Parts: sequence; C-alpha cells; structure tokens
Amino acid sequence: MTSLLGYLGMDVAAMTANDWLGVFFSVLVFVGMVYAYFMVFRPANKEKFESQRGMALDDDDPVKMGEKR
Amino acid sequence: MEAAQATPVKYDMEVVRWFSVAAVIYLVVGTLIGVYIASELAWPFLNFDIPYITFGRLRPLHTNAVVFAFGGCTLMATGYYMVQRTGATRLWSNGLAWFTFWGWNLIIVLAVITLPLGITQSKEYAELEWPIDILIAVVWLAFGLNHIMTVAIRKTSHIYVSNWFTMSMIIMITYLHVVNSLAIPVSLTKSYSIFSGVQDAMVQWWWGHNAVGFYLTAGFLGIMYYFVPKQANRPVFSYRLSVLHFWALTFGYVWLGAHHLQYTALPDWTGSLGAAVSLAMIIPSWGGAMNGMMTLSGAWDRLRTDYIMRFLVVSLAFYAMSTFEGPVMSIKTVNALSHYTDWTVGHVHSGALGWVAMVAIGALYHMVKKLWNTEMYSDNLVNVHFWLSTVGTVIYVVAMWVSGIMQGLMWRDYDEYGALTYTFVESVAAMHPYYAMRAIGGVIFNLGAWIMLYNVVMTVRKAGAARDTNAIPVKA
Repeated sequence: MTSLLGYLGMDVAAMTANDWLGVFFSVLVFVGMVYAYFMVFRPANKEKFESQRGMALDDDDPVKMGEKR
Repeated sequence: MEAAQATPVKYDMEVVRWFSVAAVIYLVVGTLIGVYIASELAWPFLNFDIPYITFGRLRPLHTNAVVFAFGGCTLMATGYYMVQRTGATRLWSNGLAWFTFWGWNLIIVLAVITLPLGITQSKEYAELEWPIDILIAVVWLAFGLNHIMTVAIRKTSHIYVSNWFTMSMIIMITYLHVVNSLAIPVSLTKSYSIFSGVQDAMVQWWWGHNAVGFYLTAGFLGIMYYFVPKQANRPVFSYRLSVLHFWALTFGYVWLGAHHLQYTALPDWTGSLGAAVSLAMIIPSWGGAMNGMMTLSGAWDRLRTDYIMRFLVVSLAFYAMSTFEGPVMSIKTVNALSHYTDWTVGHVHSGALGWVAMVAIGALYHMVKKLWNTEMYSDNLVNVHFWLSTVGTVIYVVAMWVSGIMQGLMWRDYDEYGALTYTFVESVAAMHPYYAMRAIGGVIFNLGAWIMLYNVVMTVRKAGAARDTNAIPVKA
C-alpha cells in the first residue's frame, strides 16, 4: 500500500504552472468523458439520440443530384 | 428534415465534382510515386544517381501526395457534400469553396516543385517550407469557415455526427499545423523550427500522430458514418455509440503522440501516458468499427452484389485491425522490438491503404454515381478494383510485418559473448525479398487506382453524353 501511495503521490510544492495546467486539462477531460458517457447511456436520452439514426438516409428525396445549374 | 422535404434544395455540387475527380487522379499519382520509391529500396539502381528522384526526396512527395492531395481532396469533397445534404442547405459560400479547390491544388503543385528540389523543413508529414505552410493555413481556414458557417445556416435542427467529426478535424488540424510549423525563416526556402531538441520531437509527434488521429481518422470516420448507411440504405446501427465514439476520440487522441518517442530523451512518464491512452482508445475505435459493420445487420447479402459496399466494409475491418495493432505497438515491450523497423511501415499502410483509401474509394464511387446522376460505366471494373486493392494491401502489409519483425529480432540478437549476431548490412540484405514483395503489392494497388480513374472518366463521359442527348433547348 505504501509503495502504491508512493507511486501515485506527487510533490505539490515542486509543481510548476505547466504542471498545474496539465492537471487541470487532465481532470477536465476526465470529467468531460464521464459526462459524455452519462449523457449517452442515460435511458431518458435513448430516444433523443436514436431518432437521428436515419438522418443520412433522409436527404435524397427533393434533390436531383446530377442536375446541372 | 421537414424543411428539406417541403422545399427542394439545389446544392453547390460542381466544386464537389472537381474535388472528387482530383482525388481519383491524386490516388493514381500518389500510389505510383509510392511504387517507385518502394522499387528504389528493392533495386537501388532506380535512383539513376539523379538527386531529384532519390528516395529521400520522393518519399515526402509520396506521403504529401497520398495524405494531403488524395486525402485532402477526398475530405473536402465529402465534407462539402455531407454538410449540404445533412443540413438541407447550400454552401455558405460557393466562391470560398472554389478558393479552397484552387488553393489546395496550388499547394500540391508547390509540393511537387519544392520537395524533389530538397526544399524541406525535415519534419515528417510537415515537410513543406514556411510560405507554403502559411498558404495551407489560409486555405484550411477557408475550408473550415465555409464548413462551419454552412452548419450554422442549416435547415435541420440536428447536426449529424459526420459533421461533428469533420469539424473536430478542422479545428484540431488548424492548431496542430500552426503550432508545429512555427519557424524562423532565414530565406524564402529555408526556416528553422522555433522548438529544439526533445521539445521539437515532442511537438513534431504531437502533430504527427494527430495528423493520423484527426486528419486520417476523425475526418474519414465522418465519411464512414455518412456513406456506410447511405450505401447500405440502412440507418446507422447505434447513434448513441457514434456520439460516444466522437467524444472519446476527440478527448483521447491528442494524448497519444508521445508513444512515438519511447526510449528517447523524452521523460519516461510521457511515453507511458501515450501508451496508456493508446490502449484506452481501442474501446471507442472498436465500438465505432462495430457500429459501422452492424449497420449492415440484416443486409449482409448485399455484399454479393454491391461492390462499393465491399470497399466500405473491408475498410472497417482494416480500421479495427490497425486500431488494435497501433496500441499494442505503443506498449514499451513491443515497441522495443517494433520501433524503427518495417513493422511500423506495415502498420501505417494497413491503416492508410486498408482503412483510409478503401473508405475514401467507397465514398468516391458512391458520390460519382450521385453527382453525375448515373450508374458506373462498369460495375465489374469496380469489383476488379476492389480485389486489386484488397490483395495489394494484404501483400504489402504482410511483407512489412514479416520484414519488420525479422529486422527487430536480427538487430537485438546477440551471442554468448554479448556481441551482436548480425551486422546492420546483413539485416538489410535479409530484407530484400520483402522489399520486392512490398513493391509488387504496391503495383497491384496502383493498378486498381488506374482502373478506378478509367471507370470514373468513362462514367462522367457517359453522363455527359446522356445529358446532351436529353437536353431541352432553352430560349434566352
């Protein structure tokens, strides 16, 4: 346990501004990913997301693609 | 899509047509240069002692031609195509789109001139000198502005996931390119990076791997999420998974670059972090590949008759394979064997030929039929192209796998006295059959590209002839 804590430990007093910036972005990305997983897998959001499944298929009808203008 | 169904929209597709045809031409040219330099490695007399065509000069021309000329034209063609159709709107600025077309092609011409002359920044995948770098930034920003503004004026409420991937690529590549290209010019054709030593290496591979991650992965995933459902005529298997794929890739990919610098002067923890995040990226990558493949659920029989679909499905198989292989290679133990060997070259081409080129070719065939409102001149030639591409890729990749692993084993083999068993020259001689095999794989792939060009040109001509026949004279 002690060795594990030693591995995870950090010398806060020695940290530079760059180090803190790195910590900030690391935590931000972690929180962002947790939020993304929560939103995507939340049952209440299932229909909202999955209703867009066919969006790519809906764009053919009104347009004659080969038509020269 | 209510607005789209109520009011027919005329899209700005002429620029997409030009980008599409240019992409096919650059596929032929880029892979042809690749075949030539692969042949130079197998049979060095092909240098002919002419400096302009030596491997060192032509290799960056090959990578620039396939990545930025073929890949770039494909991304801009599909980007402009998808954003209009999924947004049910025309481009924000058709004029700006034409500026990107001519600007991008000017950059390609400048690359063709400067790289054989040896004018280079010596940064991998960022060889072009500072004036061209500035031009790239301007044209790329014009593409980005036009794409994002077209999203902004869309007639649909939702922004389709493909556009998210494209916008992510645009934003990330902008700042990766700008930061990595920061340099102090000493003349019109020479500059020095503002970074030095290990910082330069770190920034270079932060760019280098994200050129793969965002340009060759995010951009082409946007293509996959639009063209696989379109070609299969089925909705994407799971939209939630596509959203997760997007955010995981966007959050995660930027951390990977340091895995290119294992066992260097870079702090050890950065390499470990790069490898750890690389392994974590297997999850979204495989989720995305499965999502694309499962879109075909219930319609697998289409693969028997739909040759364009074959390109798209095989591309997903290669995507899954190379996104597993890459993280494995980033682990320090494996990296000790694989790095600096041809295994890396095999891995890159598994992704570049198997994933990027295949998905791009599938999308281009799909678009050619839609853009010219016709069937392909020859479906059989599409099938021949598919098999040539697949067989060529497999031969190439297998040759480099065997060659690379053999190289790694020979380089680190030592006898009971601790002396190296093999000289470097012996390892080079042992590579020869595999270098010849690689060149043959490249020839087969390139032959497929020529067939595609012929088929596309004949399709366009056929469509033009049909239009002329059916044209109704209009009074002025």
